[in-house]
Amino acid sequence: MPMLEVHNIHTYYDNIHALKGVSLSVEQGEIVTLIGGNGAGKTTTLRSISGLRKTSRGSIRLNGEELGAYKPHEIVSKSVSMVPEGRGVFARLSVAENLDMGAYIRRDRKGVEADLERVFEIFPRLKERRKQVAGTLSGGEQQMLAIGRALMAHPTLLLLDEPSMGLAPILVESIFETIQQINQEGTTILLVEQNALMALSVANRGYVLQTGEIVLSDTAANLKQNEMVQKAYLGME
Amino acid sequence: MKAYLKNAATAGIIFGIITTFLFLINFIGTAADLIGDITKSRPGSSILGLSAVMFNQLIFLGLIGIWAGARGSRKDSRLEDTWKHVLIGGALAGAVHGLIAGSLAFLVGSLNTAGVKINEYLSQILPEVIRIFLLNKTPLQGALFYLVFMTLMGMLGGLFGRGVLRSTWRKNIGARRKELWNSLTHHEKVLKIRANPLTRYVVYGLLLLFVFLMPLQIGQYWNYTVGTIGIYVLLGLGLNIVVGMAGLLDLGYVAFFAIGAYSVALLTAPTPHNLQWSFWLVLPIGIILASLTGILLGIPVLRMRGDYLAIVTLGFGEIIRILSKSVLLTPFSGGPKGVFNVGAPTLFGKPFNSDVNFVWLITLGCLLVIFVTNRLQNSRVGRAWEAMREDETVAQAMGINTLTHKLMAFAIGAAFAGLGGILFASRNQFTGPEDHSLMVSINVLSLVIVGGMGSIPGVIAGAFVLKGLPEILRQLENYRVLFFGVLLVVMMVIRPEGLIPGSRQKLELQHTDKSQAPPDTADASEGSSPS
Repeated sequence: MPMLEVHNIHTYYDNIHALKGVSLSVEQGEIVTLIGGNGAGKTTTLRSISGLRKTSRGSIRLNGEELGAYKPHEIVSKSVSMVPEGRGVFARLSVAENLDMGAYIRRDRKGVEADLERVFEIFPRLKERRKQVAGTLSGGEQQMLAIGRALMAHPTLLLLDEPSMGLAPILVESIFETIQQINQEGTTILLVEQNALMALSVANRGYVLQTGEIVLSDTAANLKQNEMVQKAYLGME
Repeated sequence: MKAYLKNAATAGIIFGIITTFLFLINFIGTAADLIGDITKSRPGSSILGLSAVMFNQLIFLGLIGIWAGARGSRKDSRLEDTWKHVLIGGALAGAVHGLIAGSLAFLVGSLNTAGVKINEYLSQILPEVIRIFLLNKTPLQGALFYLVFMTLMGMLGGLFGRGVLRSTWRKNIGARRKELWNSLTHHEKVLKIRANPLTRYVVYGLLLLFVFLMPLQIGQYWNYTVGTIGIYVLLGLGLNIVVGMAGLLDLGYVAFFAIGAYSVALLTAPTPHNLQWSFWLVLPIGIILASLTGILLGIPVLRMRGDYLAIVTLGFGEIIRILSKSVLLTPFSGGPKGVFNVGAPTLFGKPFNSDVNFVWLITLGCLLVIFVTNRLQNSRVGRAWEAMREDETVAQAMGINTLTHKLMAFAIGAAFAGLGGILFASRNQFTGPEDHSLMVSINVLSLVIVGGMGSIPGVIAGAFVLKGLPEILRQLENYRVLFFGVLLVVMMVIRPEGLIPGSRQKLELQHTDKSQAPPDTADASEGSSPS
């Protein structure tokens, strides 16, 4: 049984039919990526999974349990954690307080402390700046903080929404290395990206989303070789 | 034209407009009276051949003239201040200022001699006011006087504000004060005392003793004032939770105040229901009713944010007031006339309702609310509110149940306001629709903003400034709204974070130096369109 199974979901923004029957699955321990252009429905898919957007049809199952009826905050307590689009750090809170907010649902103080150590190990930069206000961090540091904060909830499934957005190429590479590292330490990852090349080079499998529908799904290596993907998303002729 | 001359002329025009405006609302006369009160000059006496009122008026106008000169001789950034710049700039600003003030004097003076009754159009400008403004002289003489007077004041202002004297003495005083302060606060013994945990309790004890003894000394009028300030502190702290901590802009906050006041009024007064319950029984009932109302309002507006929320809550506040006033509900609510003989608390069978007792009671209420607010601020709930205020969607993604936390903010804020309303109605032995106008909401919001959002000492300071100062400056009563407006504008310009800002607001304003960030700071504010 896959860890996350999204089956034929439909999501609307008023009259706009944003998702027209999206199905995908994520197995335990995988990195799965969802690529597509602007307005394809990538973020909407993530928001539907995390409960921030109600789906009107279809089912979302986590380890066999239907998530549709749960509120966003209840889904977080099922060990699903999201790094929102545009990072969404709490700009007026310090780095330490942001990380603390990530562990909001947790009561086990010792576990939280251990996870804080782990986050600081992954991102030593955050440790240096833990007293600084998050709004004054650079874009790359804010992305690190957003990921670190999501890890503080100790997720088994991490949803990442465009971690490369607005970052310099060298930082994008280091962020993706970190994503792989987090995955190797046992967290399953669903990664939404516009930067298809980077996404496909770290992912095991990938889905291509176009105007609210999955048009292609394969292993990441095969997708990289796919003519359509090369033309539309990798900029090769 | 040279930059400094242009600057001086602009300052002159601006101050001319200010003076004209102050004259038209007869603030000048009020200020003269105020100066008379402060200097204790007898109304009939004369100084330098002028009556006391005229002299005091000139002191006030002179201060404005000096200010105009100080602004007008503002330093040209490329040049050092020189005597020439200072004097010519100040004089030009003063002359323009005086020209406008003089023209005004000439105009109103001529109109007055021609028999036009200006006070039919501008109610404040009585012939007497014009006579005083013209210093008993003809319009032309008065006009010329102001031209010369303002020019001289402008030059004085130039010397005073930008003069060569200024920079040196200012620097000296600043340095010396800092040194003195440091030697006091960082002295070994002082540090030792500060480190001792007992000190805190001693300070608290002394404060408490002061609060306990003060009402016995200051008399009924000041007890009433202090009580009012205390009630506004309660309201401010409640609204601070809703607006400052949870970030929900509530403009109908007075509704909960009204619920508190009416619950104590209707349950303890002989009319209209003749229930006459005990105050102590009604106290929790009123608080609970207010917080239930808070939840009731909260449920329908949960999905609203910002402006929409403000408008809906504004309407809600008015609905409560209008309902309490309505003829239909008069048998239930006392109607437009209000409810009289509201019950007062008793203590061990004895009445506990003197002005002193109420100050104690209100202070106790404030202490309780301060304690609760303080605990909330550092609790899980407080952190959730903080996250919600920053970004509601992300807060949800952190696992915060935003619905319950919003309701909780509304309920707790409303409970504080309810407590305020109960004490208010019981102290005044009366409550009516006019006690619960929109102005109360606006006052409370202003004091939270002026004091500093999200900060307990800030709210207290705000209440003292906005409710206490007007009482001290009784003569300015008529200009209270003007004063509010000016104060808010000035605050927004020079201290946008409030008098005593919360740590969060301070942080935000201290760390705005973006130049420290590495060059990869691509913009984080991408649109969040559905993709």
